[in-house]
Amino acid sequence: MAKVNPDFSVELKKFGGFDLNACYNCGNCTAVCSLSTEENSIPRKMVRYSVLGLEDELKVSIDPWLCYYCGECSETCPQDANPGELMMSLRRYLTSKYDWTGFSGLLYRNMSAYVISFLLIIIGIAGLSISNVFSQEEWLHYGHYLEMLAIAIVFAFILLPNIIRMWILMVWNKEKKFSIRKHFLSLDVLFIHMFTQKRSLSCKDDRDNKVWWFEHFILVLSYLLLLFTTVFLNWFNTENMGIIVLGYIFSGIIFVVTIDFILRRIKKKKEKSTFSHPSDWFFVIWLMLMGFSAFIVRMLIDFSVLEKYFWVYLFHITVLIQWAIIIVPFGKWTHFLYRPFAIYFNNIVQDTKK
Amino acid sequence: MRCRIGVYVCMCGSNISDYVDVEKVREIAAENPCVVLAKTTMFACSDSTQKEIIEDIKVNELNAIVIASCSPKLHLFTFRNVAERAGLNPYNYVQVNIREQCSWAHSDNPKFATLKAIQLVKAGIDKAKNSVSLEPIMIKAEHSALVIGAGITGMKAALALANTGTKVTLIEKEHYVGGRIAQWNRLFPHNDPAEKLVKTLYEEIIINDNIYLYTGAELISKSGSVGNFIVKIKIKPRYFKSGYLIEQCIEKAIESCPVEFDDPFNYGLTKIKAIQQNHIGQFPYYPVIDMSKCTKCGICTDICADIDLEQKEEELELNIGAILIATGAESYQPPSGEFGYGVIPGVITLQMFRRLIDLNGEKLIYNHKQIKRIAYIYCVGSRQYDGENQYCSRYCCTAAVHTSLIVKEKFPEIVNIHLTRGVRTYGKQEILYNKSNLQKDIYLQFDDTPPEISEENGMINIKVVDILTVKKTIELDIDLVVLVTSMVPRKNKELENILKLPIGRDKFYNEVHPKLKPVETMIDGVFIGGNCQAPMNISESVKSSLSAVSKMNALIGKGEIQLEPSLATIDKSICVWCDECTKICPSDAIIKTEYNGKPVAEINEANCKGCGMCLPVCPTNAIQLIGYSDVEIESMIDALASYSPEFTI
Repeated sequence: MAKVNPDFSVELKKFGGFDLNACYNCGNCTAVCSLSTEENSIPRKMVRYSVLGLEDELKVSIDPWLCYYCGECSETCPQDANPGELMMSLRRYLTSKYDWTGFSGLLYRNMSAYVISFLLIIIGIAGLSISNVFSQEEWLHYGHYLEMLAIAIVFAFILLPNIIRMWILMVWNKEKKFSIRKHFLSLDVLFIHMFTQKRSLSCKDDRDNKVWWFEHFILVLSYLLLLFTTVFLNWFNTENMGIIVLGYIFSGIIFVVTIDFILRRIKKKKEKSTFSHPSDWFFVIWLMLMGFSAFIVRMLIDFSVLEKYFWVYLFHITVLIQWAIIIVPFGKWTHFLYRPFAIYFNNIVQDTKK
Repeated sequence: MRCRIGVYVCMCGSNISDYVDVEKVREIAAENPCVVLAKTTMFACSDSTQKEIIEDIKVNELNAIVIASCSPKLHLFTFRNVAERAGLNPYNYVQVNIREQCSWAHSDNPKFATLKAIQLVKAGIDKAKNSVSLEPIMIKAEHSALVIGAGITGMKAALALANTGTKVTLIEKEHYVGGRIAQWNRLFPHNDPAEKLVKTLYEEIIINDNIYLYTGAELISKSGSVGNFIVKIKIKPRYFKSGYLIEQCIEKAIESCPVEFDDPFNYGLTKIKAIQQNHIGQFPYYPVIDMSKCTKCGICTDICADIDLEQKEEELELNIGAILIATGAESYQPPSGEFGYGVIPGVITLQMFRRLIDLNGEKLIYNHKQIKRIAYIYCVGSRQYDGENQYCSRYCCTAAVHTSLIVKEKFPEIVNIHLTRGVRTYGKQEILYNKSNLQKDIYLQFDDTPPEISEENGMINIKVVDILTVKKTIELDIDLVVLVTSMVPRKNKELENILKLPIGRDKFYNEVHPKLKPVETMIDGVFIGGNCQAPMNISESVKSSLSAVSKMNALIGKGEIQLEPSLATIDKSICVWCDECTKICPSDAIIKTEYNGKPVAEINEANCKGCGMCLPVCPTNAIQLIGYSDVEIESMIDALASYSPEFTI
């Protein structure tokens, strides 16, 4: 049984910029949403769960992950309650619920926590740099391993347990008679959605959405490929011309696309980029800084002037560490994993029910 | 017998002439030897045709006219007026309806539409031949009114009537004026204090020379008819000699009174004595003794010399031109067990809750428990699926929403949860609903599955199927349940019997027509306003009472009332007083009288509506309806049944 918790809306408010109290249940948001079906009213169900504070229901909900924030609900809302941003906020809320460390929730609710943790990393790097513990070669050498290590630790101790927690909420709690076979058979769903976000294309049939999807698609690919290039092909330390060029291309694309995304958020022309939570800014700016600094560092290496401008490398490694141990496990980066996994888990449950 | 008749067949543009052969109708009408002149016309009601008809009547010395056109509902009075302007008695005009009854009804068959029109016009001509010149009946009207009920509706009406120059007698059953308003204390939409509102009206009434206000007064009999009612009023004493003085001893007298009981004003939240001072918002500011509770122990008379327990009721007889019923409504009393009412201690009505808010200071306490979460259940006693009250009570959604604002303002830690069946805060009242949303009130909506209420460890648990949340069963832990109860008709059998008030299916007093005669009743001279007619909020009640005032003023303001002469008439020489007609008469228009030493029936012209109900029940055919006499009707039947060569067409 679902118990009403009137205090919940205050709690949820910390995750985003929507106005639950403005909603008078007209249902326009649901009428206009292309995801809404006769069986499942999106986003109305989530709006009501949030108004009533039905946390148990929210925690196991798939709906927020189905939404790609086309923004039509918010455009249509006669009360300016901003249901699209509510769905976004629920994704942040769910992220904090999946996270066993509780750090996601702290960061989402508290911008100062973000700033403090970023500052701590800057101070650490600056301290190491000033105290000359490592030589420049050692910096480059350990920096490379640090990257690999960070990825391994974040995946093993934070993201994997969180995915398992998510699985317990979305599969185990709902369908005890799940089949292992279905888990394998649905893997295609997981990977297709992880790399293509193709569902978002059916959300809104206009040019702008297609452009956004394409930009997002190449951004994801470039990011993953740059990660592969730097970590496994050791971009900063290779003589292979092909790898070097690829690295330039990927980091260049990241820089260009993120600049466009930042401009969208500044211009606020489209509903989806109207409201920006601190986590949105951190995510897109740090991604931009990462691509940019990587590009410059490699360029300095190619012109053999890195030693002269070594602070650029230190800047890059700072951004990288902030990204890898704050934004990736606890910030907006997680939507890369949680969204496809949510669709994947939902697929398993739906198939089992059939 | 009239034998200089003019006949006009109207085309109504093409409304009639498209299907009815108007020329044919005219030709056959002209064949009648008594028809001096027969014409067709494009629009009989047009200014030019009206002038033409007047000219025709004068030139041809016509003594009756027949116009075959639309329904008399539309233009009877237009053409009566035409006749009158031409110096012809308006009752020598006969209207034949060949539009609604012929061209519109038989547009599929123009031939028979024409035939029907021919026969109807023939009948109309024969009726005109036998028509009698009549004069409207004029009766004298008292320029005075009785207003029953001194709530906001009655008070506003009394003041408005008095301002038109009408002498007003305003009577109130209770010892205080203001009705239920004082109990609400603050009124939506602008939070006006009830006390100020009632006080303003009361003070205006007191200084108005045209208004006589009686509190503790009830109507006990009524006779006569519109314009000339004779009413008797019974006035209860207050049991104070001077009546108007508040002496120092009153407080002591109240203190000493041994009779203590639940105060109905506060729904039993406080006690009251048999000697009472008025509550805030009630006027006049005089004490009273509730004799239904007083044991006449006499303790108070020793303290207060002004008290006289032996005062008697008084009676008053008045001549009144018109009566306004403004007796208001009651709030629905849920039966024991409805939503836990009367069974679970934390379930109360909205009306009681309002008193509770006013009586509590810093914290909201009910039943020794501090209240933090309140659930309002809407439509209790309204829009019932199974019960009799199928109507919406109009005021309660807004009253509940307004209450949630008031309670939150006074006790900010309160959480309001509304269980509605759709919020109907119509018009400007929507702003209150918005405010309640902004103060984080929670709204759920149920339909035909009523919320289930149970109690566990002092906490009230509600289970409700919320249709806004995918029909999920939602659970609520609540400290206090407030039933937003409806408005129900006041139980007032005596008054209803005295005035023979028509009661609607919803048990409220019934108007004649919701749009055309919204404040008139079937009883001429008796009007209704405010909540006795239907649930309304205060401003709607006042509006309805003011519209009743304008109708009353139009009726009695001129000093005489004009009535239609088409009434029943009784041939006393034939009447045998079988009493059948009095039984069937819906208007109380037949009175018993004597004629040549035998009892006979007579028509009270002021009451008779000319409905004709009494005609068929009379065994001796002593009753005739003027304007529809046997001669006229029989001649029409003959005409309708007559042979027409066109039948063979």
